[in-house]
Amino acid sequence: MERGYWIRSKPVYTSLVWHEKATSHLVVAQGEGGMAVLKIFQQMHPKQPITVLYAHASASDVDYANTLKKVVPEGLQILASEQEVLDELKTILPTMRMGLRVYVAGSEGFIWAVSEAVKVFGVEDADMMKELTGTLARSIYCVHCKAITHNITTNIAKCAGCERMLFVRDHFSRRLGAYMGLMVDAESPGELPEIEEIYP
Amino acid sequence: MALAFNEETFREDYTYRNSLSGIKRFPFPFPEDQYMYSVNIEPHTKGKQGSVFEFPLDVDEHYVAECNDKKITLEQDPGRYQALPHMMDAQWDFVELTMESLARDYPKHFSLHKKGSSWTWENKPLGIKDTFTFGDSSTLPMEPFEYMGRQVQGDFVLLDQRDETLYADAGIVTSQADWSLAFNVGMSWREWHGPVPRATELGVMDRALKFMLNLQLGSPVRRLNWTMTVNPRLDTSPENYPYWGGDRNAVNPDNVGDLVNLRVELQSLFRLPRSNAIVFSIRCYLISLKDIATIPRWAKRLHRVQKSMHPDLIEYKGMTKFHPMMVDWLAKFDDGAILEVGTQPE
Repeated sequence: MERGYWIRSKPVYTSLVWHEKATSHLVVAQGEGGMAVLKIFQQMHPKQPITVLYAHASASDVDYANTLKKVVPEGLQILASEQEVLDELKTILPTMRMGLRVYVAGSEGFIWAVSEAVKVFGVEDADMMKELTGTLARSIYCVHCKAITHNITTNIAKCAGCERMLFVRDHFSRRLGAYMGLMVDAESPGELPEIEEIYP
Repeated sequence: MALAFNEETFREDYTYRNSLSGIKRFPFPFPEDQYMYSVNIEPHTKGKQGSVFEFPLDVDEHYVAECNDKKITLEQDPGRYQALPHMMDAQWDFVELTMESLARDYPKHFSLHKKGSSWTWENKPLGIKDTFTFGDSSTLPMEPFEYMGRQVQGDFVLLDQRDETLYADAGIVTSQADWSLAFNVGMSWREWHGPVPRATELGVMDRALKFMLNLQLGSPVRRLNWTMTVNPRLDTSPENYPYWGGDRNAVNPDNVGDLVNLRVELQSLFRLPRSNAIVFSIRCYLISLKDIATIPRWAKRLHRVQKSMHPDLIEYKGMTKFHPMMVDWLAKFDDGAILEVGTQPE
């Protein structure tokens, strides 16, 4: 990679840190993100009300559910899937008040799915901390057929919608939670550059 | 003066053409022999009679054909129009700006009559006449921004100003140079300009943003941007890249003068009164190398600009495949004479 290269549209992810002045805390994590939750509880147990939603990502993924049950003092819900986490957000957010801070940890796709879900309820991006954990896998938005293909670990990948081979551009949309994918061989059909795993 | 509108196409058989006066008024973007990104923003004030800067919104001989091309693109892909829900005030601001400009500056072709909030708009070239209630979307056949966006040449993005930056929260984009509205809608200034090489490095984007945040009502600004494109195609979108990308392979030393076009964007920015949003207008002008060669000064200038182009920009502007052929073709028009600074044709 060239010196000075910088993906301007790629969000910066940091380690989770409690906002001490929040009136309540909502922690949302998936898979490896469980470790980020354990780490934040090593800092302190805040005085304010806490809700923690956790789902492990896939069968092969590490599952922090049992450890979390020992560490999180209150408000922990273990859910079966990412989708259940998103559904649960829709149920609990209407009851939450001003001053809520949101903390999310997991894959990039998960982080931005949560972001979209909480935005509807007026939670601003600035009120949400994000920690990327476990994988660099990307979600790819096909600019041609508009389908989103998840968990891409290679520079070039097949679109799940139109089956075109897409080049993964370093251009990220928070609204879509995905990178742009552009047909790689439009100018010379069938000629593909070498496919390499670069987002393990 | 009444305009005569060309019957022409921007796709398939590409019958697009410039008249002699169309060539003369072309907004040639290179005042010097070398090109590098700069902010190059100037007040969008009234220019010379007949020039593309004469009025805030320029209507020319391509008006009807361009609006038709826009219609085709929107039919094939309705996602080229996007507006986030909080942009409704800005949509009406846009309607007011465009209707008032066109009716005032081209009274032979457009008219606007207001009785309180009941407005009657007539667009003769496109055969449209509607009476509607300003501020009430249900009285128009579609959202107000789309309604007027379809009746003005060029692309439009409505920028919402908050958190010390600008968000591209609505747009009607059918003639873009390889960027996707459906992907970019909702992005902040910095995210949106992520992929432009060299520009961010030079601090150009930050300075431009600072300038735009201070844009005042009644003091629009403009700049020119450019690229080279194969065929006079308006819709060089990433969405349809599978259909036009291959055109680059068709260029050879014999047809380069016909196929390769200079594509100039007249970008202008207007602050809007109700919403405090900004209209970003991107108007595209196309001219073939052959037509440029009829203006000796421009042919020399373009040759020098292209010959000294930074390799990153050749790549970013998608010119890699035909760039050497274009420089060779232009070389025969360049006698090396010194050219004064300026974009004028003579």
